[in-house]
Amino acid sequence: MDKSLTWKIGLIVAVIALSIFLLYPPKDKINLGLDLKGGMHLIMEVVTDEALAIQTDMSAAQLRGLFKDGSIQYDKIARKNFNKIEITGTLMSDERKIKDILDDDFRDWTYTVGGNLVSLALRPNIEQQLRDQSVDQALETIRNRVDEFGVAEPTIQKEGLAGDKILIELPGIDNPERVKGLIKSTAMLEFHLVVGGPFQTEEAALAEYKGQLPDDLEIVRTNPRRLDKGFYVLKAATVVPGKDLKRASRAQDEYGAPAVGFSFNSQGAAQFEKFTAANIGKLLSIVLDDRIESVATIETMISGDGIIKGRFTVDEVDDLVLVLRSGALPAPLKYIEERTIGPSLGADSIRKGLMAALGGLLLVVLFMLVYYRAAGINSVLALLLNMLILMGIMAYFHATLSMPGIAGIILSIGMAVDANVLVFERIREELAAGKSPKSAIDAGFKKAFWTIFDSNLTTVISAVFLFQFGTGPIKGFAVTLIIGIAASMFTAIFVSRVIFELTYGRRKKLAKISI
Amino acid sequence: MLKIFKEEPKFKFIRLRYFAFALSGLIILAGVATFFTRGFNWGIDFSGGTLIEVSFQQPTSVNQLRSSLAKIKLGDAQITRIGGENKFFIKTMASLKKLNFPSGEKLEDIEEYEIVAKEIRNGMMNETERAQAAAGKIDLNNTALGEIARFLRENGLNDEDANQTAQLIIGLRKSGSGIISDFSALEKAGVKHRVMTILRDKTFLSKFTFLSVEFVGPQVGKELRRKATLACIWALFGILVYIALRFKSVLLGLSGILTLAHDVLVALSFILFFRVEMSLTVIAALLTIVGYSINDTIVIFDRLRDNLKIMRKDDLTAILDKTLNQTLSRSIFTSLTVFLTVMSLFLFGGEVIRPFAFTMLVGVIAGSYSTIYQSCAWLKVWENSFLKRKKS
Repeated sequence: MDKSLTWKIGLIVAVIALSIFLLYPPKDKINLGLDLKGGMHLIMEVVTDEALAIQTDMSAAQLRGLFKDGSIQYDKIARKNFNKIEITGTLMSDERKIKDILDDDFRDWTYTVGGNLVSLALRPNIEQQLRDQSVDQALETIRNRVDEFGVAEPTIQKEGLAGDKILIELPGIDNPERVKGLIKSTAMLEFHLVVGGPFQTEEAALAEYKGQLPDDLEIVRTNPRRLDKGFYVLKAATVVPGKDLKRASRAQDEYGAPAVGFSFNSQGAAQFEKFTAANIGKLLSIVLDDRIESVATIETMISGDGIIKGRFTVDEVDDLVLVLRSGALPAPLKYIEERTIGPSLGADSIRKGLMAALGGLLLVVLFMLVYYRAAGINSVLALLLNMLILMGIMAYFHATLSMPGIAGIILSIGMAVDANVLVFERIREELAAGKSPKSAIDAGFKKAFWTIFDSNLTTVISAVFLFQFGTGPIKGFAVTLIIGIAASMFTAIFVSRVIFELTYGRRKKLAKISI
Repeated sequence: MLKIFKEEPKFKFIRLRYFAFALSGLIILAGVATFFTRGFNWGIDFSGGTLIEVSFQQPTSVNQLRSSLAKIKLGDAQITRIGGENKFFIKTMASLKKLNFPSGEKLEDIEEYEIVAKEIRNGMMNETERAQAAAGKIDLNNTALGEIARFLRENGLNDEDANQTAQLIIGLRKSGSGIISDFSALEKAGVKHRVMTILRDKTFLSKFTFLSVEFVGPQVGKELRRKATLACIWALFGILVYIALRFKSVLLGLSGILTLAHDVLVALSFILFFRVEMSLTVIAALLTIVGYSINDTIVIFDRLRDNLKIMRKDDLTAILDKTLNQTLSRSIFTSLTVFLTVMSLFLFGGEVIRPFAFTMLVGVIAGSYSTIYQSCAWLKVWENSFLKRKKS
């Protein structure tokens, strides 16, 4: 055996060994997609406009404080849209002072001062930064929640061109409603002073103020699961911001019913203490995600911690504790896509996918053996190696096998032997032209190479665009197709050639080959 | 040696070019007409809406299913039977307004779809099942693992028993058709006697199960349509650039692209004729056709360039026919191997992947046909300018 053949065989053996190593044990190495093992697939959009609106509201509140401190006169400071602030009723004489404040403390804003009107707008780059931040934060929070809930192998990642969508894949999820609620809860816990209520309807509440609610008040509905259905009028300003919440835990009220315990950090505790001391005898409401969870009279000064009472079940307490612990979402989430695949469907798809793969393989093998005889065996060996390499590389990249991915593999079977067909047909032609078997094999491989290269390249081009465009399963299809084609370049050209050389190479005289 | 042609065939393909053009033209025209009259059957990936795959225990007809959907005002939902089984796809874009469902507060699209799905589930139940559900019993055939376990815990089982029983129930659903027909099957599967009493008392087994439930919001589809169109255009453009570089001949490149466009258009036409659902996987199939069906055309054009040098004295028709005949068995066989695998996928791969397999089948056949009857025929059409360029 000549030297070059030895290292060629060595290379092939190494590739086989590596593929088996990467793939073994296949149960752990090949991830099944949700469509095959069942589970829940969610795509949510982070409503970043809301996050900006919250930020703008805070800036507006800051402005009010600064104007008050600087005794600058104004009628109204209000948020417009989600990224603008408008100040009306300012005096021309205050223009210098206003500009100084804005130049010093509002660098993230552009402003125009004209007559009695000052308009501020968030700078576009800052706006984008805030949007990105809120998506990142949402991603982190969701990850915490899913981890705490204890779902095995979840996928949580950004998706979409604008990067404002979040993909969540939960395999074998067994409690869809609950998980969805958990993920979606913004978990914005706020404390507001109650001004009036309860009212039966929003209109009744509004009527108290002759249909015109003052700027610093808001009407909030109760969470009907905790309190009687109704509406309260609350002070709009929150007593302690949600970010000052330090800890949440399971607790019990004085009757032993489940409740949620919470405590503030030192800053929040100090603020809360000051506030409760000043408002003894008044009503305090606890608001979660714009729903009143609890209303209670402030009986004494409250410092570091407290509990939320209500008609909780144990599970509800657990969920609330979990979302409070994992932190608030910076902006609300909107589900835009949801797919739930039941457990039996996945099992059925695997059976069918396997059957189709075996059927395809069998048909192709049968055809190659009948039509090309001994050379057919050659191509079948190459094909099997192709499949092994394909699975090995997929395992290496932790690729997920989905139904379209299986289709990609099946298609690769057909496309891989394409290359063999091109070579064999060429060899037959060379034989027909009167060449000796050995030189016919030589010429066959040489001349077919560029054809094979060309045809594979065009398929790769479109697979790449498919990958660019596709969502999960389609990406899986594109990936298997690309890997399968790349592997076939190796097996159909290199490996198949070596097999020919092994079979016929040692014979001094070769009169006939079976092809 | 087994050969389909004992010796090189001598078919006169080029002579048939006008028939070939007419045939393809007719198919594509019919496709265009269908597009403007009936349009595509968009899957929920693109249209948004609710898609439910439901399996029944007893033989059920589409009409029966439709009449139970009509009761909840969803009689116009699209119902597709899956194979010969008692499984169906139910697709609807209905929102609450259509169901005259009082919506207490503003709901997002997906939330609306969820309520629609719940309504459909209620609609599927018969009177006794509905009464049982109303009495607070849970349906073991349509409840998720964790929910079953929680329900059992709430009914006095300890954690271990509750989880174990829930696992057994789901395991039984997984192994069979997804439906547990009666409680004795659970007993046989090893559910404890004590637990069985609770199950018989507090749960019921409906005669159907939802195998999958999917909701897609309307805004997703819009973005996807744009992205899919862009991907197809870019892929075609990529191939165009490649061919132009590869052949260094505008007319060869143009003929190749026309052949390719033909394959995609014919595939699209058949998708329209058979109302195949346009889903993401169908787009994947179309793009694969774009990349794949150009292959045999490249093989032929390669050979053509050789023959143009060898057969200087012959006229173009003879050269083209010779080229086609020389590469004929190869053109047929490379397509045949892919055809065989796609056929297997079509037959055995199940309903989910069938639209993909169908599109690929049409694409492969159209590709094989167009390679033989059209790629070279276009060159004949442009004979004068093609030969002039070659000589210079």
